[in-house]
Amino acid sequence: MATTTERTAAAGSKPFDIVATYNELLRSDPDITMPIAAIEALVHVLTHSPSSTISETLDLLEKSTAHLKQSIPNPIGLSAGTDLFQRYLITTLQRPGQLGPAGDFKAIRTHLLSNGRLFIRRAKESRQKIAAFGRGFIRDGCTVLTNGGSRAVASLLQKAADEEGGPSAVRFRVIYVLSSISQNIEEPSGQPEGMETVRALRAKGVPVSTIPESAVAYALGKADMVIVGAEGVVENGGIVSRMGTYQIGLLAKAIGKPFYVVAESHKFVRLFPLGQYDLPIEQHVVDFKSADDIAEDKKKKQHSSGDASGNKPIELPLSDSVDFTPPHLISALITDSGVLTPSAVSEELIKIWF
Amino acid sequence: MADSVDPALTSSSASASVPAQPASTIANPPSQQTQNLPIRESKSAKSPAPSDNQSSKNKDASKPAAAFSDAAAAAGTDKPLTPAELKKKAKAEKAARRAKEKLAKEAGGAGAAGGSAPGAIQSRPPATPKKDAAGGASQKGQKAAQPRRGSAPTGQTAADEPTKKEDKSVAVFGHLYGQPRRTTIAGAGKEVHSAVLALGLQLRDYVVCGSSARCVATLLAFKRVIESYTTPLGTSLSRHLTTHLSHQITYLSTCRPLSISQGNAIRALKLAIASVDPSTPELSAKATLCEFIDNFIREKITVADQVIAQSAAQKVQNGDVIVTFAGSSIVKQTLLTAHKQGKRFRVSIIDSRPLFEGKNLARALANAGLDVQYSLVHGISHAIKDATKVFLGAHAMTSNGRLYSRVGTALVAMSAKERAGGVEVPVIVCCETVKFTDRVALDSIVVNEIADADELVSAQPLQQVTGLVDPEAPTKPDNKKGGKGASSAPKPDPSASLNPSPSPLSNWKDNRNLQLLNIMYDVTPAEYVDMVVTEMGSLPPSAVPIVHRMSTNL
Repeated sequence: MATTTERTAAAGSKPFDIVATYNELLRSDPDITMPIAAIEALVHVLTHSPSSTISETLDLLEKSTAHLKQSIPNPIGLSAGTDLFQRYLITTLQRPGQLGPAGDFKAIRTHLLSNGRLFIRRAKESRQKIAAFGRGFIRDGCTVLTNGGSRAVASLLQKAADEEGGPSAVRFRVIYVLSSISQNIEEPSGQPEGMETVRALRAKGVPVSTIPESAVAYALGKADMVIVGAEGVVENGGIVSRMGTYQIGLLAKAIGKPFYVVAESHKFVRLFPLGQYDLPIEQHVVDFKSADDIAEDKKKKQHSSGDASGNKPIELPLSDSVDFTPPHLISALITDSGVLTPSAVSEELIKIWF
Repeated sequence: MADSVDPALTSSSASASVPAQPASTIANPPSQQTQNLPIRESKSAKSPAPSDNQSSKNKDASKPAAAFSDAAAAAGTDKPLTPAELKKKAKAEKAARRAKEKLAKEAGGAGAAGGSAPGAIQSRPPATPKKDAAGGASQKGQKAAQPRRGSAPTGQTAADEPTKKEDKSVAVFGHLYGQPRRTTIAGAGKEVHSAVLALGLQLRDYVVCGSSARCVATLLAFKRVIESYTTPLGTSLSRHLTTHLSHQITYLSTCRPLSISQGNAIRALKLAIASVDPSTPELSAKATLCEFIDNFIREKITVADQVIAQSAAQKVQNGDVIVTFAGSSIVKQTLLTAHKQGKRFRVSIIDSRPLFEGKNLARALANAGLDVQYSLVHGISHAIKDATKVFLGAHAMTSNGRLYSRVGTALVAMSAKERAGGVEVPVIVCCETVKFTDRVALDSIVVNEIADADELVSAQPLQQVTGLVDPEAPTKPDNKKGGKGASSAPKPDPSASLNPSPSPLSNWKDNRNLQLLNIMYDVTPAEYVDMVVTEMGSLPPSAVPIVHRMSTNL
């Protein structure tokens, strides 16, 4: 994150910096998701720049989107939001009537902005909706295995826990898979992702067990279902998610446990990866090195400690790396537009886009 | 690899112009428009031998048909029949047919009953007792008596031909042998437009081949039909033109069963005709319809192809080895687009007999500077070994997400998915939405197309240069074909490879217990397809019905 802010500072001639806004939004509001932050940033762009024609607006939007996508190491989640917003703008502008191309542009603009905000508010509420849909999946006496720091999963589990106001109406247990990577790189002293949810659940009286990723296969026998979050839901119904989700999916399939994905429908991305290595991001998870390479790397690091960021493409740190879980491993997707099978995702996407 | 392929290709291209000639002379094409079409000339990939065969067959086959029409004319002029008499006559014919059937049954399927059956009731006179190509052509595909099945043999059974009675249709696919494909334009209705007449023969001879090309050619022919159409007195254009078109359509479907894309295009056109306001003057109505056809071709095929090629080419990455089957025009466009984008990859083309559609693709790609490997379908396991992606064209996509395409496609998709000990290879289908259908295919038996089994018989083409033996060797007429015969026979026959001797199967129709099956399509299960690239975006196969619904409702 430090590098990105530096970059944008260097390009500081711009009156309004979308990347900084985006990052600031993500930092300030722990509940906000990447696509929503992107949309909010775009709305900010529109409010700050006095565009007077439709094509100017669209052009500005396109430029800022491209800029934003380039400056963020993993633009998958974000692009869901920007695409959606762009699509929304275009359909609004095409609609006949006062707000159509014939209408007064100022009216259109204010309408767009207010609707954009409305959209953001609704998207934030979608997590509650998901929790309502998904509550039925968690039954008395069941054990749920989950991973990562998905807020949608957290809100679903918490909703199930404080059902009917009473202390833990549904009696269920949670096996929480804690990532070992994020622990030691990003925040050496900090807690692993998801620890907050664990604490919150425990406070609500839900028994939680935390296991490392290596124990998933061992622990899966005790679980009744797997519920995970997603960073993006792609067109064939697969998900792009925190590294390690794919292997949980494979294991769940092998053991025969249902594998549910919780995702807001604004996370649906128009992207069709054919496999793990077909994602539009740079991540060097598998990095072959010999002893010489390591030595060379060390030398380079010492050498270039002064000028931090060159013109290299931004790489994803290992802790933020993602993998792709193909649709045949997923039993169902719990979204705010209902519980969908993976093949229904493409239908939803087509509905949005055509 | 590519080098070893090239000589064969060039020789095939050299011979290509020869076979195309007779076909076009038969067709006597009055139309120039087909030249501008994106036609895959699969004909050119064929050897001279089979097409010569075909041309002679066509000529001869015209005889019985002509004789038939003569006979009909004669019957007509004999005496003007009253309706009652006609009825009586029909009854008598039916009775006679029944009797003959019975006889045939008694004769036990092999049916030597020909002599005893009253030939007089035959609607078709026994014009060609001699057993030549024409006889074969007229017999082929006839719904001959099949003792096991309940279906009644028609009056056209080859009962009057004492040489053979055996049913040459493969039992499982028996329902697919409809009427035999039309061989000439004789007997076509007078309403049929000359452009359509020519197109019919081109379709039949695979000059116009491939789902999209057939669709475009049909639409263009219909455009000419509409241009030269005048509404008869007392009817309106929107009513009469539809029936006028359906004559053309019936003719086309007797030449070759219509493709899904043709069906969809025709449906759209008929809808457009029906929605023409009866009060519109004829000229402007015709102009509107022609414009509709042009728009349809542009939107659903030309531009759609460009969009598909663009988005499918994005999936091609440097270092890929791309396997494709036969010759899909859209796959060709995709690979060329990717090549133009500067991507470096290899292409491995799997081809199959008897159409050899992959040869043109191989040549086109190699000419464009791509690295091409060409092998027939029996080399599939080898070709798939280092594949990283499979690109397939489509004849149709069914509503259950299955791919209906040239026979052999399923094999390629399956090999890619079930590759032993490797990572699975993504299978990508490029398909315009005009090829989507709301039909459902569970297997490739219920719906399919059977082509002339004689296409399988033809001797190996002469392109095989490697197996040639010493031309000095004594000539010994044996029935071995091509290089294979030369290598296996103890005393290879040079003439076998120089001027093709009849293949061992050449008179398969006289050979009892022998049936040939020349099936055109197969069905690839949806699980073997990862992605369908359409002009409306990339989809999983499960989204086919949704997109079909949307594209037809628009």
